[in-house]
Amino acid sequence: MTAPIDGQGNATAWSRGEVGTLLLILAETSFFAIFIVGYLFYIGKSLSGPYPADVLELPVVATICLLSSSVTVVVAVRALEADRRGAFLAGIFATVLLGGGFLAATALEWRKLIVDDGLMISTNLFGTTFYSLVGFHAAHVTVGLLLLALVGVLGVLGFVRKEHATRVDLLSWYWHFVDVVWIAVFTVVYVVGV
Amino acid sequence: MASIPLADTEPRRRFRSDVLHDWVTTVDHKKLGILYIASGIVFFVIGGLEATAMRIQLAVPENDFVSPEVFNRLFTMHGTTMVFLVGMPIITGFGNYLIPLMIGARDMAFPRLNAWGFWMFLFGGLLLYFSYLGSTGLYGAGSAPDVGWFAYTPLAGKAFSRGNATDYWILGIVVSGFGSLSGAVNMIATALTMRCEGMSLGRMPLFVWMMVIVSFMILVALPPLTAAQVMLLFDRFLGAHFFDTQAGGDAVLWQHFFWFFGHPEVYILMIPGFAYASEIIPVFSRKVIFGYSVMVGATVAIGFVSLSVWAHHMFAVGMGRGLNIWFATATMIVGIPTGMKLFNWLATMYGGRIRFRVPMLFCTAFLAQFLVAGLTGIMLAAVPFDWQVTDSYFVVAHFHFVLIGGLVCTIFGAIYYWFPKMSGRMLDERLGRWHFWLFVIGFNVTFLTMHGQGLLGMPRRIYTYPADRGWEIWNLVTSLGVVLQIAGVLFFVYAVIKALRSGEPAGDDPWDAWTLEWSTSSPPPDYNFDEAPVVRSRRPLWDLKHPDDPDWKYE
Amino acid sequence: MTEPHDDRGIELPSPTASPLYFALGLSLLLAGLVTHELVSMVGAAFFVLGAVGWWRQVLPQESEQWVPLQSEAERARPVSPRRAAVDHLTAGEDRHRMRLPVEVRPISAGLPGAAAGAVAMAVVACTYGLVVEGSLWLPINLLAGIVLPSVDQASPEQLRSFHGLAFGLACGAHVLLSVSVGLVYATTLPMLPSRPLLWGGIAAPLLWTGVAWSVMGLVNPALEQYVSWPWFVASQIAFGLAAGWAILRVAPVATSQSLSLAERAGIEAGR
Ligand SMILES: [Cu+2]
Repeated sequence: MTAPIDGQGNATAWSRGEVGTLLLILAETSFFAIFIVGYLFYIGKSLSGPYPADVLELPVVATICLLSSSVTVVVAVRALEADRRGAFLAGIFATVLLGGGFLAATALEWRKLIVDDGLMISTNLFGTTFYSLVGFHAAHVTVGLLLLALVGVLGVLGFVRKEHATRVDLLSWYWHFVDVVWIAVFTVVYVVGV
Repeated sequence: MASIPLADTEPRRRFRSDVLHDWVTTVDHKKLGILYIASGIVFFVIGGLEATAMRIQLAVPENDFVSPEVFNRLFTMHGTTMVFLVGMPIITGFGNYLIPLMIGARDMAFPRLNAWGFWMFLFGGLLLYFSYLGSTGLYGAGSAPDVGWFAYTPLAGKAFSRGNATDYWILGIVVSGFGSLSGAVNMIATALTMRCEGMSLGRMPLFVWMMVIVSFMILVALPPLTAAQVMLLFDRFLGAHFFDTQAGGDAVLWQHFFWFFGHPEVYILMIPGFAYASEIIPVFSRKVIFGYSVMVGATVAIGFVSLSVWAHHMFAVGMGRGLNIWFATATMIVGIPTGMKLFNWLATMYGGRIRFRVPMLFCTAFLAQFLVAGLTGIMLAAVPFDWQVTDSYFVVAHFHFVLIGGLVCTIFGAIYYWFPKMSGRMLDERLGRWHFWLFVIGFNVTFLTMHGQGLLGMPRRIYTYPADRGWEIWNLVTSLGVVLQIAGVLFFVYAVIKALRSGEPAGDDPWDAWTLEWSTSSPPPDYNFDEAPVVRSRRPLWDLKHPDDPDWKYE
Repeated sequence: MTEPHDDRGIELPSPTASPLYFALGLSLLLAGLVTHELVSMVGAAFFVLGAVGWWRQVLPQESEQWVPLQSEAERARPVSPRRAAVDHLTAGEDRHRMRLPVEVRPISAGLPGAAAGAVAMAVVACTYGLVVEGSLWLPINLLAGIVLPSVDQASPEQLRSFHGLAFGLACGAHVLLSVSVGLVYATTLPMLPSRPLLWGGIAAPLLWTGVAWSVMGLVNPALEQYVSWPWFVASQIAFGLAAGWAILRVAPVATSQSLSLAERAGIEAGR
């Protein structure tokens, strides 16, 4: 007698991990959608400055970092599936580095906005919506980054092997999702909202 | 509930602390399901007592049973409790208990996440109720939230709700919301990936189908509430301006966000009721469910349409003609798939050899009462009519017909139906009949008359009223019905206690039913099935009971 | 699946308190916002405890517990065949009335029905105008009141004279209403039990006359003022009878209800 009867009547090829991750992404999408709607709704409704057009600069470096990290994480997963440990670790740490670069760029941007421009979450509607939307995205990047770093550390210690590739792959799905959210945030905040 | 194992089957005596430890550390879907349902019932009693206090206050004009402040807290906590701490856990509990059994699995897809979800729900509820002791409201003393279950801004903003009672409301619901979300993820993942051999999607019991659809609705509709509550929290803690009208914020935006969750929530609560009825009615009519695929399709349709009707709660806000017409039309369209379901249940009963046992009695009452709820719903969807009765007791009567006449009645039916499976003991039929008649008559006395006060113009949420409005007799009758309902629920409580102590053993399959949960023992072993079942049709047990006339010949 | 034996068991996820700690930690962490920082700190501790415990449960391997099978006596009995015979519902039996429309009139039969009904009704209405009110135009002008609000204010003399616009609108409304009622008739009339003409020709017009009587004040106030109910009923019945007669004259067509289930489903199966 074996352990849980795992999907024998199942024509679909999805594993429960994949389904669970996709559902998590669905719920998160719905969560971000409200913040994005809130941001769009309040564009141009701030009663006082600073206004987006005056203080926002296109976060080119951050965007490049984050988008390219989606590529490196795929490289890492492929390498793990093919059991090439060196390439796997290189991919993971490149991802962590790029994600860290994104967070650093965001931190610098916020520092400029707070210190130089005097924009706080309580300053006006722009501050309110900007910090909550970008902040929630950054928080998701942080969570993803911590998990990736953990995978990296465990990988160095030799705990991550080929059979864990599916789990790392699921983490990469989440990471892609964070990336896609950034594309939406970028469009809304830095293109439409300025 | 299941901590009352029979003395003769239990080989060694176990200490109470052992039993407690088992329940606290469990990741078993059946135990968690029972925990969900039991805590939901406890909160149901608490919420019911709050309602009773309000009905005592309103029974006669110029009453001073409770103060206005206490009254505000009562209706806020009553609504919040009944939706988030009664409806949600009970539907999640039944889903948890039954989905793996119905699809022939050994557990949910994510057993630990399942346990986490239950504890999040429970701690969220406790946090909300801790506000009675811990929160400082406007009056200094500890007090519960008093801004209504939908916490409209700007009333719920920092300027008008001093103290942190409203923060308790936000945090309690956010925390318990994680429970619902994880439950939803778990139910879908289980139904999609853990089905036994032969259990194709088209052979899943309707219960499982409907819970899957509900779970999708939870995943789409609940995070927006969390997001909106986080915004409100930012407003209150960090001085943000999302709903701060002084700084250009928009109070109506809160209403949109809230009801984008709030309306689908009604269906999130009601579709599980449909799910119970869809299992109970065929078994007690001795006929196969009429229009299986139409039922699935109609549920999917309800799921989609109900996401685009939320602003029918806001006709009085002044959204403009275009939006009003859109939301009125969309709302009326929901009536079509819902009506299809009603006809399917009736067609299932039609020509059947109906056995009116207690579960079936409750489902029959549900059909009639839910029809009334649906008809007043269509009335309220007509904008001019809505303008007349909005925020009146007519609306209160309408949604109590949905949630009590519809949901609570099917939940009672479901408890009478599946309690034998969960505990191994039958609930007493005679006590059940007392429960049914007292509760249903009491419910109708209370809430049919409540339509009357509403049409006479009595507004919701007033703590008292003068004697010259012509509302006295209506209110008195409404309050008297509560006595009958409480008497009914007491019979239910007594029936449960009696069954657990000395109930008649249920056997594996007391109702001669057809879905897989009845093929295992009652209560089922930890691993559910000795052998993994194999199914060939929608009614696997029928096939076994009637080998010469099996269902798979027709499907 | 292998046969279970008493010395065997099944592996299930093992119990753990970590999810409880994790949930408690998260709740206390948030509860600190409304109570005290210390609560948040305790929460953080539980959070870490729960998170680490949870990780250790699932990594590197999901921890499982060996549950022995129940003893033979406790197990579920195998589901045994029932002796009682199964009743199959058949069409037309006592408890299960069914009316299967084996033949129906084509929906297009509604058009000749509408034409016949429209003419019959117009004849009665115009007779009423000429004989009782002394003007052919009065009923026509009144009908136009459904769409023309100005008819409400018109004087009796104006109502008795010809108006081009009112005539056009009245004709349009008459045709539209007749066609819609005709089409509904064509689908329902032949399916009504025993005497279609009685139901469709007399009962239905009486019914909707009742409806018209109750809403006339809203829909067409002018008509309500002048209407003569006996004549109104007569014109409706004329419509019903004429339309019904015309529809029943059209040759019926067979529906798929006369075919067997297998044939309807497109399955080539021998009987
Ligand atoms: Cu609604």
